Amino acid sequence: MIKPLAYNIVSPLGFSAPDNYAAVRRGESGVIPWQDPAGTPIVLSRLDREKLQDAFERQCKPSMEYTVPEQAMLLSASLAVAEAGIDPASARTGFVLSSTKGNIELLAIPDHGFGRERIHLWHTAGLLTACFNNQNLPLTVTNACISGAAAQIAALKMLENGLYDHVVVTGVDMASDFIVAGFQSFKSLDPERCRPFDARRKGLNIGEAAATIVFGKADGKGISLIRGNVRNDANHISGPSRTGEGLFRAISRTLEELSPDDIAFISAHGTATPFNDQMEAIAFARAGLDHTPVFSLKAHFGHTMGAAGILESIIAFMALEEGIVLPSMGYEVDGIEGALHVSTATVQSSKKYIVKTLSGFGGCNAALLYQKHS
Amino acid sequence: METLIFDLKKQIIEALNLEDITPDDIDTNAPLFVEGLGLDSIDALELIVLMEKKYGIKLEDPGKSKEIFRSVGTMADYITKNRKK
Amino acid sequence: MKKIIAYSRITDTLVILNGKPCEITFSCEIGPGRLAEIYRFLEVNYPKFFKMDNFSKAGFLASEMVLRSLHYDMESPDESTSVVFANRSSSLDNDKRFQETISRDDYFPSPAVFVYTLPNIVTGEVAIRNKIMGETSFFILESFDAEKMMIFADWAFSSAGTRRVLCGWTEYLDGHSDLLVMMVEKESDKGFDFNKQNINNIYRT
Repeated sequence: MIKPLAYNIVSPLGFSAPDNYAAVRRGESGVIPWQDPAGTPIVLSRLDREKLQDAFERQCKPSMEYTVPEQAMLLSASLAVAEAGIDPASARTGFVLSSTKGNIELLAIPDHGFGRERIHLWHTAGLLTACFNNQNLPLTVTNACISGAAAQIAALKMLENGLYDHVVVTGVDMASDFIVAGFQSFKSLDPERCRPFDARRKGLNIGEAAATIVFGKADGKGISLIRGNVRNDANHISGPSRTGEGLFRAISRTLEELSPDDIAFISAHGTATPFNDQMEAIAFARAGLDHTPVFSLKAHFGHTMGAAGILESIIAFMALEEGIVLPSMGYEVDGIEGALHVSTATVQSSKKYIVKTLSGFGGCNAALLYQKHS
Repeated sequence: METLIFDLKKQIIEALNLEDITPDDIDTNAPLFVEGLGLDSIDALELIVLMEKKYGIKLEDPGKSKEIFRSVGTMADYITKNRKK
Repeated sequence: MKKIIAYSRITDTLVILNGKPCEITFSCEIGPGRLAEIYRFLEVNYPKFFKMDNFSKAGFLASEMVLRSLHYDMESPDESTSVVFANRSSSLDNDKRFQETISRDDYFPSPAVFVYTLPNIVTGEVAIRNKIMGETSFFILESFDAEKMMIFADWAFSSAGTRRVLCGWTEYLDGHSDLLVMMVEKESDKGFDFNKQNINNIYRT
């Protein structure tokens, strides 16, 4: 098991984890009206470019120009690393980047002037290590929307195998025209703020964010990441399995001997597409978690893709630390067939474990188990 | 109508990457989904793009699309009545 | 000791299975046309192949060669096999194609192209074809690295119940193929040792 020593979120709700958590507690959302590339009104959760650049320049004092996703990534990592009090240049510190599309916006700008390699995710990861003068080769995880969980699992293995003493895991993705156009073509966007698990849900909102967790070895205090697993549905490349096959297996492998009664809540993927939310409910029920409180954070942040697994884990384990279950924003009318306990109010819980789930294109599913030590 | 049906079959083959299939292989009135060509959800979305790109028809309601895309014949009928290109 | 029990190698000019070059004569120039030729040469019967983007086609074919050579059971759901791939260019080959469908003057985003703008989709295609329900993963590295491939495979093996890892370098960009896909088994008396030297040897063929 490993321990989050420090963590950060850079999102429209703020540039620190406490600010983001407080905003979630107040029921705030970063989802705002915007337009897709065709001019059709949509909503998404968008970072203020000027505020981001300001904060980035103050924190990182850059000597060259950086793209927007790079600024968000470096700002988030830099703030988390400073708080962790570790030596980021040490050979015993590793870096993992989680992103689905990184600098993809550069494809639309033929003369962007950032060089031919700038579009590559390995280059983006290299900027992360360079920022801290770290000589190690960074790892990039790109596994659709579960990337943030997969990156944390990689950090878990790295630390448990003694490869490093600390691992900085950073996720970032932007609501680029590329991604917005793609999801529009899938007709999977809700024109209004999303409603996970609700009968009126129409689809997801895209969000942009960066999030970082600095992990070290667990010391039996505070919060630990115990284990995580990824499993595939083997069903369809973009639609979830009707039986929640992969997610059920990922959860089962992750719960192991724990009883569903030990779980305070599930921080679900809850993208608010008709199929995803139903599939998750089926998987939860198959794993015996049909009475466990469930919430989705997608109405606060939108779907932040490569950042989602990290960002949502942070909010989840902060709630675990506070001893509460968060309400699932956007949910009013039950829209799920079969049993599912969607959390509708902030309640206290003394249970010690939480589960974070994510699912993604390509049929992949992830489940993470966090524990609070007394 | 004959020309439209033939063109539509060619466009479907191209848009959906249906290898080794010619317009003659597609029965105008056979189901496109589940049986027949066995198209799936992504194919349905591509057909929506095809309608707009080639015929200027915007389909906003996925529910209505099911009826329109039942067969090449139903598609051709709908295009004849609603085309803007 | 983990063993490589089968492997395939696809480059611009060579298609190799378990060390033996396939006797395929290409009629197309180096480029995506060769992928269809490999498909037909292998007598794969899987029409969904033609819906894939070129990068996924390449990864699918390299995997297909390995799995069919092992007579892998395609019918029974199998959680004990994982698919772990890595490359340098992610799905950039197809990303460029999707970008073309969203150009300002000709804006018709294609869902069938968009779905392949993620490199892990090919691991999903292999999983669907073979009912593989184990872990599927994708990593990005600046260049081929045998040691990293071994670490990725080890991570997959450490997930409960995993006995086999289909582990590969699946690089494809602008018509150029550079793939090595290996089936690694946790305990086997067949094949040869899954170590850095052997991996580099078969990669450098």
